[in-house]
Order: sequence, then structure tokens, then C-alpha cells
Amino acid sequence: MKLIDYIRIWLACARYSVVRTMMFRFDFIMWALVEFFWMGVNLLLIQVVYDHTDSIAGWSKYQMLLLVGSSMLVQRFIMGFVWTNLFEMARNIRTGHFDFFLAQPGNPLIMVSTRKLDLDGLSNAVVATAVVIYAANRLGIDPSLLDLLAYAAMIFCGFLINYAILLITVSLTFWLGAAQGIEGSYFTLMEFSRLPRQAFKGAAGVLFVWILPAVVVSNVPASTLIHGFSLTNACWLLAVTVFWMSLALFVFNRGLRRYASASS
Amino acid sequence: MSFAKYRHAFLIGLQSNIVYRWNFGIRALFSLFHLAFVFILWGAAYQGQTEIAGFSLDQTLTYFVVILIMQFFIGAFNEDYQISEDIRNGIINQFLLKPINYYLYRFSIFVAARLVSGLLALLPILIALPLLKDHIALPDELWRLMLGLPAMLMAALIQFTIAYIFGLLTFWFLEIQSFIILSLAIETVLGGQMFPLDLMPGWFYRISQWLPYYYQMYFPTAIFTGRLDHTSALNGLAIQSFWVVALLILAQFLWTRGLRRHTAVGG
Repeated sequence: MKLIDYIRIWLACARYSVVRTMMFRFDFIMWALVEFFWMGVNLLLIQVVYDHTDSIAGWSKYQMLLLVGSSMLVQRFIMGFVWTNLFEMARNIRTGHFDFFLAQPGNPLIMVSTRKLDLDGLSNAVVATAVVIYAANRLGIDPSLLDLLAYAAMIFCGFLINYAILLITVSLTFWLGAAQGIEGSYFTLMEFSRLPRQAFKGAAGVLFVWILPAVVVSNVPASTLIHGFSLTNACWLLAVTVFWMSLALFVFNRGLRRYASASS
Repeated sequence: MSFAKYRHAFLIGLQSNIVYRWNFGIRALFSLFHLAFVFILWGAAYQGQTEIAGFSLDQTLTYFVVILIMQFFIGAFNEDYQISEDIRNGIINQFLLKPINYYLYRFSIFVAARLVSGLLALLPILIALPLLKDHIALPDELWRLMLGLPAMLMAALIQFTIAYIFGLLTFWFLEIQSFIILSLAIETVLGGQMFPLDLMPGWFYRISQWLPYYYQMYFPTAIFTGRLDHTSALNGLAIQSFWVVALLILAQFLWTRGLRRHTAVGG
């Protein structure tokens, strides 16, 4: 299949998702509100902490807001584009419905990951973007077009890293038959992406800054807007993206070999 | 005799929750990661100052450790979903025919579940104790225990009854999951799980004291960790008792109202 075919399929899926969402409007509004509230809770935490202090690990309030906004942006894209799909994949592997995707002419991973869109997640991506713009405004940042492009590319890298982590977790279903606690582990890890890198010391620094890609996904894009483009940081983010995506693809393909369908 | 049936429900609850020991264990382990997040955030916020709102870093960290233990001992986990399922699947039908009170039956199971999850949550905390113990700063006044324990008991009642009420919404709505997660966000803030409520602006803190959420987690934790004085604790206990009664009345009202809408299908 050519790229254009994938895009056409994806557009059809997107159209279907929109129609479906409009059929369950109340549900859509409720879930969008749920996410909106949780984002509000995290912003409130920043407000309360900065009511009592001027800086967290050298980051001012609006710098911190920009950091949290960036982290939210990545997470909203994950929620909007792939979260439901990956969850369903775990279920399909267990039940044997995964056959359906293997029988399709396209790459199974792409077909699985792009099946549905969650509009509530995407609608809140607008809110997250507004938070980033507001924070940048308060900081008096006037980014060049190049800075903006770099920021967007870095958010995309963050998206890929998050996707890779989720894919690895879900692929474990091939071996374990169940991926319990996946939500818990993902959200727990992402919590650390709302903290500035400088706050991590000792073992926590090694674990969350270097071994697990929790801090890099948000800190590098946010620093790019605040302090300007840094080649070292960009290379670091890119290397982490390549590493985790390769690992995820490896694990997924290995798992695929183990997939034995289910009796009918 | 009438008590014996709930004792049996409790024992069955105990058994069925021990089956889920791994779930609770994993959950407790993840909560240690959350604790790490809290320690890193507040550690960085305290840099360059010894006190925030009159409390030291260790006092604030102790608050979060106690809140965490509280969550596993008195927090409602998925009672709302279970009750919702019972209604949807028609399991409640059998309670309508037998001399057993559905609220008390569910509450007995809730107590059993919290006993199991609470004890399991202590394990990771015990493992992390060598790291934690230097940061634990608990006051040692006896009255805190005398008032804190009843506050904790009533907090458990409030937690469970709110979950029960959300479960009963199934009589009116097909899907209650979004309601639950929405209310969880409010609870997380107003129950003091995100930050100690006394860090909020004064007017907000005073309003929160009149809401039931304050009495779910924050109130007993604040008594134990020295964030409330004797008078405020006594006043709080009075408001808390009011909320227990009010919520019980609301639960009973929804139950009788819901049953009128309920159609028992099949056998």
C-alpha cells in the first residue's frame, strides 16, 4: 500500500469517528469535561505551589506553566489519536479479533493504531495549546518561525516516545495475555514529565531523566521556547525517540510472531 | 442473628478481595512512584525556605504519606462500579426478596476490601521506610488519636456513601463512568489529595470546610499530622457527623426512588 492509501483510510476512519461522536454527544461532552477538569487540577497545583514560593528548581511560575502545558499537549495527542486504539489492540489480542487486522492489506501496526480518533482528547489539545500560548505570552517570549517549527517537531517526538512506551506495554499482552495496570503505569510515568529536570537529584535523576523517557519529552520542547534552540538537547530528544521507537517496534514484531490467534 | 448475615458478607468480601491481592499490591507500588513525584516537587518548592504556610518540608511530606495510607484504608475504589453492575445485571433483585439491607451488605464488603487493601498498601511503605523515616514528623498528642480515629471512621462512611450514591445513579443513567471520574477530580482537590487544603487562599479553605469532600481525606489526615488544633478538630467532627447523616438520608431516598424506576427482568 502506498502512503496516499494510508492517508485515505485514515481520513475515512476520522470521518467515521466524527459521525460516531456526534451520535453520542452527551458522552462526548462529559468526557471532554472530565479531561478538562483533570487538566485544571494540575494547573491548580502549580498555582497553589507558586502562591508559597517563587521558583521550583529555578523555574518561575509561567515557565512551569509552559512545561506543564507542553506535557499536556503531548498527552492530549496520545489520548486523541492512539489511546483507545492501543487499548482495543490489547483486548483484540486476547480475544483473537486481532486476526481481522492481520488480514488487511496494510501494515498491521498502522492499521491498528489509526482506527479511531477520540475527539474529546483532541478538543482538549486546543486547551493545552492555549495554556502554552498564554504562558509564553506572560514570559514575553516572541518565538521565530524556526523556533515554532522546532517546538512542534519536538512535541511530535514526545508523542512518538509516549506512543512507544504504550506500545511496549500493550505488546506484553502477546506474552502475558493481559496488560493489567497499563493505565496506572503510563499515568504514573507521565506525572514526572510535569517536573523540571533540575528538580531531579540522585537516583531519581538517573531513573527519570536518563533511563525512562519521562522528563525529556516535556523539558526539551519547553526549554526550546524559553531559552531558544539547543542542538545538544535536540539531539538528545531525537536519540531517545529513535531508541524507544525501535525498541517498541522490535517488541511488537516479536510479539506478533507469538500471536497464535484464538480458536473460533 | 441479624448481624450474623453481614458478618458472613464481610468474610466473603475478605476472601474475594484477597484474590485481588496482586492488583492492590501493584496499585500500592505505583502509589510509591506518586510519592516520589510529591517528594521531588515539594523538595524543590522548599528550596531556599524552611517553612511554607507555617509547616516544614518534613511536615508536608508526612501529610502526603498519611494521605496515601488513608486512601488505601478508607478510600472507595470501585464500589460505585460494583453497585452499578449489580443494578444493571439485576443482581439487586435478590436483595429485594430477602431480609437483607443492600447498603449494609455492600458496606460489609467495603470494610473487608479496605482491610485487605490497607494492609497491602503498608507493605511498599514498610519497604520504603528506610528512605521515608527521616522525613516523618508526626505530633504525639494523645487527643489527636482520640479524635482522629472517629474522624477516620466517619470519613470511611462518607467515602462509601458517596460511591454508593454514584452507583445508584445507574437507575437513571446508562453510563456513570464519566460522572465518577469527574467527581474524582473534584474530590482529589477538595479532599486534599493534591495538596494540603490549608495552602489554599483563606476564603477557599473556609468554603471547603463546609463541603463533604473536606471530610473524606483531609480532615482525619490533618488531625493526625498536626495541621488542625483541638477546637477546629471538634468543630469539624460536628460538621462531619452532619454530612454522614445527610448522605445516608440521600442514599436511602435515591434507593427508594430508584427502585420505583427499576424493572426486574428474568429470574
